Amino acid sequence: MSMDIQNVLIPTIIIHPGMYVRDLFKECGKLHIHALPYCDEKGNLSGTLTLKNIMKFSCLPEHMVELANLLGNQMSCVENAEEKAREIICNPVEPYVRELGETISSKEPLIKALALMEKNKTSYIFVVDNNDYKGQVTIQGIAQVMSTFDDSCAIPDKP
Amino acid sequence: MDSHASAIIFGWDPLWVSSIVFVITYAVIVTEKINRSIVALLGAGLMITLGVLNQQTAINGIDFNTLGLLTGMMVIVAISRRSGVFQYVAVWSAKKVKASPWGILFMLSLVTAVFSALLDNVTTVLLIAPVTLLITGELKIHPYPFLFAEIFASNIGGTATLIGDPPNIMIGSAVNLTFNDFLINTAPITLIIFPITLFVIYLIWGRHMHATDEARERIMQFKERQAITDVPLLKKSLFVISLVVIGFLFAHPLHLEPATISMMGAALLLLLTSINTGAKEQSENVHKSFAEVEWVTIFFFVGLFILVHGIEHAGLLDIFANQVLSLTGGDLTLTAMAIIWVSAVFSAIVDNIPFVATMIPIIESMAPTFGGADQLMPLWWSLSLGACLGGNGSLVGASANLIVAGFAERAGYRIHFIQFMLIAFPLMLLSIVIASIYVYIRYL
Repeated sequence: MSMDIQNVLIPTIIIHPGMYVRDLFKECGKLHIHALPYCDEKGNLSGTLTLKNIMKFSCLPEHMVELANLLGNQMSCVENAEEKAREIICNPVEPYVRELGETISSKEPLIKALALMEKNKTSYIFVVDNNDYKGQVTIQGIAQVMSTFDDSCAIPDKP
Repeated sequence: MDSHASAIIFGWDPLWVSSIVFVITYAVIVTEKINRSIVALLGAGLMITLGVLNQQTAINGIDFNTLGLLTGMMVIVAISRRSGVFQYVAVWSAKKVKASPWGILFMLSLVTAVFSALLDNVTTVLLIAPVTLLITGELKIHPYPFLFAEIFASNIGGTATLIGDPPNIMIGSAVNLTFNDFLINTAPITLIIFPITLFVIYLIWGRHMHATDEARERIMQFKERQAITDVPLLKKSLFVISLVVIGFLFAHPLHLEPATISMMGAALLLLLTSINTGAKEQSENVHKSFAEVEWVTIFFFVGLFILVHGIEHAGLLDIFANQVLSLTGGDLTLTAMAIIWVSAVFSAIVDNIPFVATMIPIIESMAPTFGGADQLMPLWWSLSLGACLGGNGSLVGASANLIVAGFAERAGYRIHFIQFMLIAFPLMLLSIVIASIYVYIRYL
């Protein structure tokens, strides 16, 4: 298998207006990815939805993050966790949409995708050709492809 | 001719040029439309490019003792806070009062006041506000009275020491006042104002506070030890902070300036946290620590010092001083009272740093009228008390107030400007009445 974007591309759905957090969570959970692109009413790719961002704004107030080490089982915030989770997944996605980050074309080299992920401190990058979303490249996806070259780990014969 | 002499453009009157630049710059700062450090630096640049000052004279106007003290303390706090020690103390204090709501309000206010006296107010509230929101959330009590009390505690605590609040740092540096001078002169009155303020807060909110036993039990189950994330760092931080405080206490006999002590402390803590680490880790540690210095504040100070030096150089501040003296008839008591009250009201409405930066040379130029620089002490203490305590008067009176309001808002508890001011302004005036009586009895 060659190491280019086409070979590590993960095709995904696009989130549209009117969809719910549940739709995003299902797709991310199924494909083991962290984010999905968002298209506005006009059909333009206009934003990003990330799991981290949704978790942060729906159930992690700033002071809790500051005091993460202090949180324990006795706290009232852990009560009714299931009920809260149900509430969150039924929220519309719109409030969580963030600005669309840098994208890459499927013709570009994979090393550029890795460099852009590192530069933007993310573990994914959306692949877009002429405003057409093709899917995304993730660090996990690249690692998975790399791991298939396991024959290279063979111990060379001693002379 | 002095090779460093300034050359005003087009032969304009430096007094007018500097006054216009100064007024416009301050007006833009007050609007808060553009970041204050950008405005101050642009104003300072204009003072030089328009020829009111030359570069060397402008640099001479910068008080590097203030900048060094602030920067050094910011580095020390940036490193120390990573250990979690401040949150540990806050949670520990809440448990010491068996998680009773009023007891927690009292203890968190006390901790805020003590930390504010030793650190800067913004850092203190950044550390205490999250603990407060977590605890009040568990107690199922509205956090507003707690946050209100902490705002007051941070500004009152900051008044007590040389390093507690930027106005004190500036006044101390300009007049060569030591840490002990502030401990002897401003700290005693804060010990009176603080309990009176808390008593008023008790009458308004404290006596109505109630939490269920179950909620209190949840607080008692907090394990404050878990707040400590790095024990070796904690030990190193406490060691260096202790050394710095001892350094401040003995600065006078040691002939050391506060900036030297704080910068040495910062360098020592950086060294202790870098020992036994590789070059890359050392570099990251130093980068991270320096990145947490509030450079916006530091550059704001640089710009302000040059701006104020510009109007001082052009003679505007002498005119101001003479006006004040003619209004007060050269009477020391009247001048001191005017300074404390005007400082308080100004500091409640606008940033007290530019105000104090302007007032310092004005007061200095009053020395001949009152019989020398030594006779000005009541005026310095009036400026310190008025400017620091005045910050309590409104939400925009001090940076710490806005930090608390920001935290509260992001947690879903909006603090409204008028709602805060309705109680804060009269309570601030009460503290100024007490401070005025203190200044009058002790110095006049």
